Amino acid sequence: MNIDNTASQMRKGVLEFCILSVIKQGEAYPSDIIDKMREANLNILEGTLYPLLTRLKNAEFLTYRWIESNSGPPRKYFSLTEKGAAFYKELEATWNELANAVKALSEAEQEHTAEQENSTEQENINNNFNNP
Amino acid sequence: MKQVININFHGQVVPIEVSAFELLKDYTDSLSRYFANEEGKEEIINDIESRIGELFQERLKKGATCITDDDVNAIIKSMGRPEEFEDADDNSSKKSSNSQSAGAESSQAYTATPGASKRLYRTENDKVIGGVCGGLANYFGLDTTVVRIVFVIVALAFGTGLLAYLILWIAVPSSASTIIGGTRKKLFRDPDNKLIAGVCSGIGNYFGVNSWLPRILFLLPFLSFVFRWNDWGYMNFPNFINLSFSPGSLIVYIILWLVIPEATNTAEKLEMKGEKVDMNSIKNSIVGEMKGMQQRAEKFGQEAKTLAEEKGKMMGTEVKSAARRTGRSLGDIIVLLVKIFAYFIIGCVSFGLVVALFALAIFSIGIFPLKDFVLDNGWQSVFAWGALLFFIAVPVIGIITWIIRRLAKMKSNRRVLRFSFISLWIIGWFCMISLIASVSRDFRSGNNIVERDIALANPGTKKLELTTNSPDRKFYRNNWLRFEPFEGMEDDTAFVKNVEVKILKSPTDSFKVTMVKMANGRNRRYADTLANLIDFNVFQKDSLLVLDKGIAITRQNKFRNQRVIITVYVPVGKQIRIDRNVGWGHDVRFGNWDNGDFNINIDDEERGWDHDVDYMMKADGLYTLDGNPADEDDHRHPNRTRVRVNRNGIEINDGDDDIKVDENGVKINESQDGYRYDSSKPASVLDSMRLRLEQEKRRAKDSLRKVKEDAEKQLEKIGLNQTPVEPISQLQSYSLLVNID
Repeated sequence: MNIDNTASQMRKGVLEFCILSVIKQGEAYPSDIIDKMREANLNILEGTLYPLLTRLKNAEFLTYRWIESNSGPPRKYFSLTEKGAAFYKELEATWNELANAVKALSEAEQEHTAEQENSTEQENINNNFNNP
Repeated sequence: MKQVININFHGQVVPIEVSAFELLKDYTDSLSRYFANEEGKEEIINDIESRIGELFQERLKKGATCITDDDVNAIIKSMGRPEEFEDADDNSSKKSSNSQSAGAESSQAYTATPGASKRLYRTENDKVIGGVCGGLANYFGLDTTVVRIVFVIVALAFGTGLLAYLILWIAVPSSASTIIGGTRKKLFRDPDNKLIAGVCSGIGNYFGVNSWLPRILFLLPFLSFVFRWNDWGYMNFPNFINLSFSPGSLIVYIILWLVIPEATNTAEKLEMKGEKVDMNSIKNSIVGEMKGMQQRAEKFGQEAKTLAEEKGKMMGTEVKSAARRTGRSLGDIIVLLVKIFAYFIIGCVSFGLVVALFALAIFSIGIFPLKDFVLDNGWQSVFAWGALLFFIAVPVIGIITWIIRRLAKMKSNRRVLRFSFISLWIIGWFCMISLIASVSRDFRSGNNIVERDIALANPGTKKLELTTNSPDRKFYRNNWLRFEPFEGMEDDTAFVKNVEVKILKSPTDSFKVTMVKMANGRNRRYADTLANLIDFNVFQKDSLLVLDKGIAITRQNKFRNQRVIITVYVPVGKQIRIDRNVGWGHDVRFGNWDNGDFNINIDDEERGWDHDVDYMMKADGLYTLDGNPADEDDHRHPNRTRVRVNRNGIEINDGDDDIKVDENGVKINESQDGYRYDSSKPASVLDSMRLRLEQEKRRAKDSLRKVKEDAEKQLEKIGLNQTPVEPISQLQSYSLLVNID
């Protein structure tokens, strides 16, 4: 078990959700999506993004249209379909649940460990006291 | 100075440096390999390429004259290499736990140096063929030459060393993979392009050939019935491969399946396919190799220098410290020796078990085609297959796999694997036991023994010679794996040479031949049926008695210890000779011969005759024409009385004493231990005379004793009222008589 792996697993899970939430705000070009995510401190490679977009498109959550660009080849602009919007809603609900659960659990954990530390400290003191 | 070329990249003309173009091409190739099995492969690559094209245009607009290496590297960095892609497809997330561990392992391999970690590598520095021996030597800390010699001996002795070498060559990664990071290629099973388990396509990837080539190589032995149609002389496939069902390649496949890891994540898939061989990678590898050579040369020089110094120092300190620590180190040494001894014993035993298992496997594969002649088609066949596969093949595969995985330090992450092996083996035990029980039931009872006379055309002939109808015919097909008792096997008939010939004295003055047919079966009636079905022809032709070569066993009437006993009654004064082709040294049988009615105790040495020798029947048994008894055997009966009559005279010998009568007169040699009589032994002439003397003496004594007892009784009667003086003197005279001897 190493940290990088776990972290990347976590990211993987929410990547699609993040992409959908960027596109939900309006038609988006892939490099725009990357920029926006980067602004939000979520670094993602373009090589990762393109396959994800294609998969989402193939699943009919996204659609795109070609827009001529003055620099280079025409660009694909992606937008959500109705199905995609519904999917996004579901994901959002799941995410909220998950976030709340994680938060609740991790806070409880912290309190618990704090208590434990206290009690062990207490015990240590007692022990020292009893066995000088 | 760099060459610049123009390329058409997604409808845009892009001036690009040649080296940068190479980089770009490598990158797009790696992308297309990565997305090879993706549904929207074309589209994804198109998108990425058009994005790259856009980035190129940006650079050019900024005033760059052409695209340089740096530009391409920067773009690749922003796009990410396939290894860095965050894979979110269902396929890989399912196997994520698996791929994680494998990924972790392979990343270890990247950083590992061959000396530091104890992983088994094929060495590239010290290799003759594939560097397997060198790698093993490194791993176990032995001399490479020793390992090579062992391999050569094993290869020569069993041929298995060769196979082991090939498997290790494929299974063990090269040390080059750690030195030259770029060009490494690893053997993985290819899950994307598989028919069964992706072994063949993995091998194809590894060697850079179409995956159908290894597939055909694996299938070839299965098609080996082609080779059975023709005789290829010395080029004939050995039987192990020649069986129409060839377990050879199947076992190899299964072992490879278990040993080779599956390429689950991107990095492994790329390793599997390897990077394209281009100028860069070749250059890299050559540079790496040159560096290695230089280092080795330097190291060697230094070693040679320091070796001399160290040796001198070591000797001194060793002597000193040895003197000091003798007491303690002696105990250590003993413990060490005991340990070594124990390991050695354990090693020998387990090696022996493995070898025995292999021998059993090969043997059972060899006899497997015969099963139709012994087993029922129903459950027994199923049990036989089960026993072959689960009882024999499973542990063989398991052990090979275990050894290889151990040597290659692969993590045995699969408890499931072990459990399934064990449970399969238990199934194998079950099959084996059921098979034995079922078969032995089929052999349970014997038939009713009927001795039938065979009509002879000319029973009054002077000499009878036993021969077979086709003495030159050979029934076996190849010399590789001949299962002897079943002399020959054709598609629906096997021949068993269970023919026994006994010679007895005829009560009349003509020859008489009888035949007894024997068989076993589930019950006595079936055994009778089988015995009657034995088709064994005996007929006389002039002085020849022609027997069939063997008993034919068909697939319908299974082999149930069918056996024929021919008894030849030879009249006194007539001759007999038995041809070499008649009879068989080794009986084929399962279970016990003895069926209660007809007890036969003739084995090869005691049957009383030899092949191809003329015998003459005399009043007291069978003799050779020289006058020696047919069953004479000097080594087995050293004390048997022998009488020789020839030109030199007469010689009588019974092992201890002998009498010789020749031109020098009569000479008697007595043994040193003097007189001895053993009633179980046939008496020699000398012995019998002694014996008679003894008997006479005893008779005289007995009669005297009787007379004495009678006299005593009478005396007792008389002595009740008479004085016993007189009779005593009378008695003394009797006892004097008795004491004569």
